[in-house]
Amino acid sequence: MWFMGIDIGSAYSKGVIIRDSELAAYRVIPSGANYQTAAETIRQELLRQLKLSQDDIADTVATGSGANNVAFASRQVSDIVCTARGINSIFPQVKTAIEVAGQSTKVIRINEQGMVTNFTVSEKCAAGSGRFIEVIANVLRIDLKDFGPLSLKSKNPITFGTGCAVFGESEAITRVTEGIPKEDIAAGVNKALASKISSLVKKIKLEEPCALCGGGALNTGLVKTVEQELNIQPLVPPQPQIITALGAAVTARTSNLNT
Amino acid sequence: MRQSAKNISPEVNLYFAGVDIGSTMTKVVLTDTADRILSAIKGPTGPEHRQLANEVMRMALEQADLQLGDISYIVATGYGRVNVPFADDQITELSCHARGVSSLFPNVRTAIDIGGQDAKCMKTEKGKLVDFVMNDKCAAGTGRFLEVTAATLGIRLEDMGDIALKSTKKIQISNLCTIFAQQEVVALLSRGEKLEDIIAGLHDALASRVAALARRLKIEPDVVLTGGVAKNIGMVKAMKESLGCEILVPEEPLLTGALGAAILAKEIYMKATAEGEPIPTKPRRLEKATFFQQ
Repeated sequence: MWFMGIDIGSAYSKGVIIRDSELAAYRVIPSGANYQTAAETIRQELLRQLKLSQDDIADTVATGSGANNVAFASRQVSDIVCTARGINSIFPQVKTAIEVAGQSTKVIRINEQGMVTNFTVSEKCAAGSGRFIEVIANVLRIDLKDFGPLSLKSKNPITFGTGCAVFGESEAITRVTEGIPKEDIAAGVNKALASKISSLVKKIKLEEPCALCGGGALNTGLVKTVEQELNIQPLVPPQPQIITALGAAVTARTSNLNT
Repeated sequence: MRQSAKNISPEVNLYFAGVDIGSTMTKVVLTDTADRILSAIKGPTGPEHRQLANEVMRMALEQADLQLGDISYIVATGYGRVNVPFADDQITELSCHARGVSSLFPNVRTAIDIGGQDAKCMKTEKGKLVDFVMNDKCAAGTGRFLEVTAATLGIRLEDMGDIALKSTKKIQISNLCTIFAQQEVVALLSRGEKLEDIIAGLHDALASRVAALARRLKIEPDVVLTGGVAKNIGMVKAMKESLGCEILVPEEPLLTGALGAAILAKEIYMKATAEGEPIPTKPRRLEKATFFQQ
């Protein structure tokens, strides 16, 4: 049986189709201004890739901040529940998931059944989310995919003077004009984000094994910095951005098997 | 408010200067022994204009028809105060603002200053700073919030206040973060909300953030609003609503820091002179300010 999960985030929309417990296809596109269009585009692309029609999909669950724009989903489930299920389906041993998303960062405690036992979410603050990486990548005129590898070359990460992405952007511009190497600025962003994650983690007991997911986990430099700053060894799934969408699909499957 | 230095009675022949180097603007005020403002000049600080303190000072001297050597004592304040080579002393902007506001409004107890990079609330008693709170951590509680969102909307910053006053409908901006508010503003526009209602919503959002900061101190009248944001009529209205009290605004809300610095310069100089202590001053040369280490 096929199940679909759609995760409409503030920056990116993600969709997956699973066949029983196997990941069959996934898609990530920018959410743009119209979430309904984004959801529809993902659905069509996923179905086309697997040569399926809507009738082949047993159930669809929507999640994310734009979940109510997914007209073809049978229901909406909280993104925290979906992230926990998604991580649990890949790493059943994981007890804590850290998700660095486009608008916020979440720390979620998960039990063996993939259920949420506790969680904490950052304020909606660009400096505490993946958005900070985008803002500074734009200043440095580098591709997001190059951000991690570039930052790993740094020997002297800069220290940002404030915890605000708007002030951080001005600061990065000043550093560029002062001739500070781009890798040191990029590494400084990772350091700032890691310290925000660290203060978030303090609100909730972090138990290992833990996993790092969300779009921020695509940044290899951030993963390394989190390892060092928090002194943990997080597992990173191969497609960290689609975990919540995967969890939505798993939720669709689980509830259909139970009925 | 300004007077020519030449018209002042002969026994008043001492002049003082306050230089306020803010994150956005550099301000210079020249005063005399009676704290009269002889000239007041504003110029951009800006990343590429960092070294303009000497230029702004030159213009202020020209306006007052004075030479730098005529100035008895010079106090620098603001974010860039540490490296003004011709300043004799540096005093924090909090003390200077408190002094400047008190000289204009003798009954002030609460002074709120919203600048381009920070916001502060000061409690004053008899011209002296007694307590303060400030936010320089998050752009959403400073003038930068309006600057960034004005750019997103393609509206000139100086037009924002007037447009806000035309609003007939309350829109709540839910995002506390400037960067996400930019996105929200675009979404509101595409949903068909009116520009003036969105802009009024942005003013309310900033006002409620600053009011929350100010409420960490006891707000007592008179309340005075200064800083660049006080020139925005929509913000003054939003602040009145958020604080639920009358708000006084000086004619030149950007200059209170520099004015306070000039008055403090006089007080330091007069006290030293009265005590017969010689007061060291810097060479009176208009060198470039090395605002940041080169």
